[in-house]
Amino acid sequence: MTTWHAADDLVLRYAEGTAPETDAWSLEKHVESCTGCAERVSAAVRGRGTAAAVLDGVRAAVLAGAAAEPVRGADGRRVPGAGPRSWRRLPGAGRWRAGGAGARRAAPRAHPVGRVLWAAGPALRGPWAGALLLVVCAAVALAYGGGLGEAARPLLLVVAPVLPLAGVGVSYGRSADPMHEIIAASPAGGLRLLLVRTASVLATSVPVLALAWAVLPASAGGPGPLTWLLPGLALTLAALGLGSYVGCRAGAWTVASAWLAAVTVPGLGTSPSALAEAARTATRFFTGPSAQGAWAAGAVLCAGLLALRRRSFDHLETS
Amino acid sequence: MNSTVKVSGLTVRHRRRTALDSVDLDFGPGVHGLLGPNGAGKTSLIRVLSTAAAPDAGRIELLGTEVGAASDHRGRAAVRRRLGYLPQEFGHYAGFTVREFVAYVAWLKEMDGARTAAAVERAVERVGLADRIDSRMKTLSGGMVRRVGIAQAIVNEPELLLLDEPTAGLDPEQRVEFRALMRDLGEHATVILSTHLVEDVVTACEGVTLIEAGRVAYRGTTRELAALGKDGTQDELGGSPIERGYTTALRSHRATAGAR
Repeated sequence: MTTWHAADDLVLRYAEGTAPETDAWSLEKHVESCTGCAERVSAAVRGRGTAAAVLDGVRAAVLAGAAAEPVRGADGRRVPGAGPRSWRRLPGAGRWRAGGAGARRAAPRAHPVGRVLWAAGPALRGPWAGALLLVVCAAVALAYGGGLGEAARPLLLVVAPVLPLAGVGVSYGRSADPMHEIIAASPAGGLRLLLVRTASVLATSVPVLALAWAVLPASAGGPGPLTWLLPGLALTLAALGLGSYVGCRAGAWTVASAWLAAVTVPGLGTSPSALAEAARTATRFFTGPSAQGAWAAGAVLCAGLLALRRRSFDHLETS
Repeated sequence: MNSTVKVSGLTVRHRRRTALDSVDLDFGPGVHGLLGPNGAGKTSLIRVLSTAAAPDAGRIELLGTEVGAASDHRGRAAVRRRLGYLPQEFGHYAGFTVREFVAYVAWLKEMDGARTAAAVERAVERVGLADRIDSRMKTLSGGMVRRVGIAQAIVNEPELLLLDEPTAGLDPEQRVEFRALMRDLGEHATVILSTHLVEDVVTACEGVTLIEAGRVAYRGTTRELAALGKDGTQDELGGSPIERGYTTALRSHRATAGAR
């Protein structure tokens, strides 16, 4: 036996459902063995219409769910804020309450890494990441198993700037992102989210491509490492700039097609191997300070255009 | 009345077609129904009010802030934090659980990270899906996905809630529960829901706005619309008073619009 009894104000707050959870627990433990306090609690609960309704709801939950989980002060405390007619307190809501107690117990916090992935958006979750790996694995396999040898690096140059573009194309906008309409009405949407997603696409593709480059056999007189970096960045920014007019997916596909046309068309008909010619063209586009300087200037121009057009990402794409 | 939503001269065009033609409207706290035939402009109106789409002309003031023009971006971001929106069609990322989906929207709404976990659980609980909170979205039925859509719209306890066909795919019992939730929310927030179900409006809404061919055809309380149905000729219309009121209002609007 104990000499402690529930104070009047605790009984009242418990009946109202406003007692802190720990206090409610000790009160409940106490009334199991103390008839006097149990009667006072019952009287207080009967005297309060709203709390009585809460307890009815709790009882219904216990009966319906037959849950082993003790339904205690926590429920009484949480319910008053829900207003008089919330969905879960209607008849038949019992099973939801039982489930709710279990779910609350689990209640994992969103992990910081998870948040970064959220920000990255659909591209890293979708088929694009698989396509990226497939391309670099194919390049390595062709170089060593397919007898491509030294020609593999220039060939990788042809596709390297296009891969991030494809990632951007499946990252943002009405046709690529199933949540786009919700995103278009949210404060985090718009150019900032688009840039975060683009950055995550680049942060994934650049290391993967650089690694593949390092693994591939060196070619004498070939382009240096990371020569594709500036062109890739410039083309990605061009896709975003164009995307501000026509939508991100259309922008990305247009720029990617233009790039592939630029490297393949000059070689058509001049050489027996169109692929080798395309690789030579791409190498020519990338090598030398003047070529790299031109790509840098292009990147700056596209970034400027994007800055001017930033408000066009505030709403749903119209096309 | 203190208006939380004020719209004037609102015009929305889809290519050549005019979806909304110089519409003037205002709404205050409470639950308001948008009724109208298919293609009347309900979705266009909800989209513009949710700030998802930009108007072609006109002014929009939400929660005391102008949001219509491109230069209103600061105010628009602030309003978007206090706004909930359920689009007519919405998707989700493969593999997301209910909890992750609603939490992702909370993140998009720039909610305080410390409050998010509890707010997500409360929102999911309010739509009666607490026992499925860790289920993957793709395992849910159509009605459940709709309810998750409602949960994401209310996760930030919005002051302005815009719902486009929220009861589509819900069974009758769930619809009853949904309307109770709406009345609950409407005590503090401005709730605007577009629907083609007249009974949604009767049981959940205080005010009715009837949209027809991009114009406002009728505005009044639910009771007034029902009274219109009682006054009107009983003839061949049949149906409930509110359905007759709907038809009467629509016909008289068409008659005057045709005379112009």
